Amino acid sequence: MTAGEALRHRLPAVVLVVALATGACTDPPPTERALRGLPEFCQEVLPRVDAHLADLEQPSGERYGGTAVVGWVGELVDGMNALVSADHGAAQHQAFVNLMTLIQFDESLEPRAYLAREWELSDDQTRLTFHLRDDVRWHDGEPTTAHDVAFTYLRATDPETGFPNAAFWERYVPGEAGVEVLDDYTVRFHLEPHAEPLDPWRALPIMPRHLLGDVPPSELGDHPFGTRCPVGNGPFVFREHRPDASWSFVRNPAFPEALGGPPYLDRYVYRIVPEEATLLTELLTERVDVVPTPSPDQAERIAEADHLDLLALPFRSYLFVGWNQRRPQLADARVRRALTLATNRRQILDAVLQGYGRVANAGVPPFHWAYHPGIEDALPHDPERARALLDEAGWVAPNGDGVRQRADGTPLEITLTYNTGSRPRQDVAEIMQAQLREVGVGVRVEALEWATLVQRVTDPEQRDFDGVVMSWVTEFRVDDRDLFHSTSADRPYGWAGTRSAELDALLDTLPLMVDRDEALPHWHRYQELLVQEQPFTFLFFPQRLVGVNHRIHGVRMDARGEWVSVADWWIPAELRRGR
Amino acid sequence: MVGYIVRRLLAAIPLVLGVATIVFFVVHLAPGDPASLYIAPGVSPEAVEQVRQNMGLDRPVYERYVRWMGAMLQGDFGVSFSRNQPVRDVIVQILPNTLLLSFSALILAFGAGILIGVVQAVRQNSFTDGALSVGSLFFYSMPSFWLALMLILVFSLYARNVWGWPIWFPASGMVSVDHHAMGAWEQVLDRARHLVLPAVSLALVLAAGVARYTRGSMLEVIRQDYIRTARAKGLPERTVIFKHALRNALIPVVTLLGLYLPVLFSGTVVIETVFAWPGMGKLMVDSIFQRDYPVVMAGALVFAVMVVLGNLMADLLYAAVDPRIRYE
Repeated sequence: MTAGEALRHRLPAVVLVVALATGACTDPPPTERALRGLPEFCQEVLPRVDAHLADLEQPSGERYGGTAVVGWVGELVDGMNALVSADHGAAQHQAFVNLMTLIQFDESLEPRAYLAREWELSDDQTRLTFHLRDDVRWHDGEPTTAHDVAFTYLRATDPETGFPNAAFWERYVPGEAGVEVLDDYTVRFHLEPHAEPLDPWRALPIMPRHLLGDVPPSELGDHPFGTRCPVGNGPFVFREHRPDASWSFVRNPAFPEALGGPPYLDRYVYRIVPEEATLLTELLTERVDVVPTPSPDQAERIAEADHLDLLALPFRSYLFVGWNQRRPQLADARVRRALTLATNRRQILDAVLQGYGRVANAGVPPFHWAYHPGIEDALPHDPERARALLDEAGWVAPNGDGVRQRADGTPLEITLTYNTGSRPRQDVAEIMQAQLREVGVGVRVEALEWATLVQRVTDPEQRDFDGVVMSWVTEFRVDDRDLFHSTSADRPYGWAGTRSAELDALLDTLPLMVDRDEALPHWHRYQELLVQEQPFTFLFFPQRLVGVNHRIHGVRMDARGEWVSVADWWIPAELRRGR
Repeated sequence: MVGYIVRRLLAAIPLVLGVATIVFFVVHLAPGDPASLYIAPGVSPEAVEQVRQNMGLDRPVYERYVRWMGAMLQGDFGVSFSRNQPVRDVIVQILPNTLLLSFSALILAFGAGILIGVVQAVRQNSFTDGALSVGSLFFYSMPSFWLALMLILVFSLYARNVWGWPIWFPASGMVSVDHHAMGAWEQVLDRARHLVLPAVSLALVLAAGVARYTRGSMLEVIRQDYIRTARAKGLPERTVIFKHALRNALIPVVTLLGLYLPVLFSGTVVIETVFAWPGMGKLMVDSIFQRDYPVVMAGALVFAVMVVLGNLMADLLYAAVDPRIRYE
């Protein structure tokens, strides 16, 4: 065999080793980054971050060290660019990992100091002044100041930016007139008196003006800051993002002591593992430490594993069936109440989510101060009452059974639509189909791909659906005008097409009521009205499940989110990776 | 030869542009648009409309087509809606991952498939032949996602947690989280360890097909006169089989190479998702669901080009294995 032949015979193996080796060579050593191929902006900014980081002294102590890995099915859409992102995971990483909000919520959901050390609201509720900490620096060494806060406000309220939650500030004075920088660390906002004016500042992190100030608002969405080279000021410094694979962050040693000091972890890694079964395997084989939102049927496996804990947290989202009142079968509130009465929501909750959740009756979550416990038994599972209501509304069964009809012969048949790829929603639709048949309602179920479904239900011109199984996430400051106000009926979220003068009046006044005690009875009335009107059959508030490896200590999670305590996570030295 | 390659490549241009045009209209005809990603609680309809405008989606489809085609011909694939970076950068980052996976699988599939096929043909109708036939039909008819999950179950979860094997394979990703802290050789091994399960899942199904073809083609060749002559002149059996018989038997198998490339790329869609392998297949599926038109378009183009090149490669390989074939 000649050398040439020998090589030809071994070519496959040689090619493979070369491919693996060249792949390996592109990995940056931990202290430097591969800047090749990055946009100019990143090539300028990242070395400054590295230089700043190199000057800082790392903390010492037995808790400091180790890498924690969180695995989830999706990317952090839009990354750390808080001005354009609408993704839950991304928002959590912005607020708790890489960036800082002015204030945070404590365990009881009351505001506490964070980037702002204190604040005051004028007696007439029209001036809100924040005093910022003077010891917070961006990860490139620049101080975080009131100018950054004003910049963030101006960009977020500029329609050209397309900031998804612009409604946060609809009662603030818009534009330059709404914000005043009093000095480098004091900023004042002008607003109309309204409920929970602090709320936006818990949600929107402050963005760096010195890096993004020159970017035209409409181009912010495409800027490399978000996913290529974010520069934050929070407890963790951005290190690397491999698209569709992982995000890595390292400790910010300069994070202020008064806010808990630098995080214990050397590194925090977020991994994307799209297939749930694979993700569960990674959790069980300890290659991933924390998995938020495993599916309920995986919960048992996690709870059984010796090295894992299963946490269940309340959340602000609820599953519902939206009833399109423009359809003749569904125009009568009695019919909609009957549909809810005929649905055994407790049973569906147990079957679909293994009981991890709470039956919902309106959109205010049970942990919220405005929640109304009095409506919990208003519409229990009661097929008899459902039949009576349907009879009363003129839908009668021809021979005592079968599909009900109106006097003109119209049958009571509806279609339940849900999106493909969501097992729980499919199960909900199919179980409801069987349960509604019991009271004489004919149900057809229909699965549509998500983007198609969204178009079908949000486009006011189309809207030919009957019932749609969806979920909704409320803000901590509940405001349902987009859903139920009559002026929203012809807009994208007016799925139900609700038109009720009393609901309108409440939806208009509740956001203006500054005093919670005064507002509470009105909130109760609002939730009673929703029960009465039944624009939706509110199904349940699912709990968010989280699988956590025992080696991660200091994990606290609650309604605020999964990442709220990430700076306090620590791993005993003997359990760290690479030992 | 060079003239032939150039002619083939030139002929491929209208084909690739045709594919691009069809994909463009099919994707744009699907209901929904990328701005629907932003439809979420608290997001005002005005904001969604603004996002749509920032993405240029308020313009008519034909105008977008002309703009896109013009830009594409100048090498500009636009900016990804869902990733906020130039599509070119996205593809450059992701394509090598898919190439690594699919070529490893291809080598594995053809290597193992040809070997199994030869063994079967040489020992026709033996127990080994029967067992290998049953085995390859078993893998040939298996859905790849199920196979992938079973491999994860056995070689990752059970191997580590239940049986405590010293060697087990990670269920996802391309590298470990502490990869950056490893030495150079450890890094290569770490990558190889991550590559095993996805490459094997992708290769097994293909290998089974290759084995069937090789077996059939070998059986035909082995009966030829020149093989009898080779044996008669006293050549060792090894030389007869691998030098005289296999070379001729490989001609139809080379055809498979061209046929399997598209299969391989569509296979990566499933395998990449199951193994969290950040590659083109997964990128395409995500982008289709997110209606990230620029990425879908660029991805379709890349796939089309790769299939064209794959077929060209197969044609050139004919000439390599069969001296009678010459391209002018």
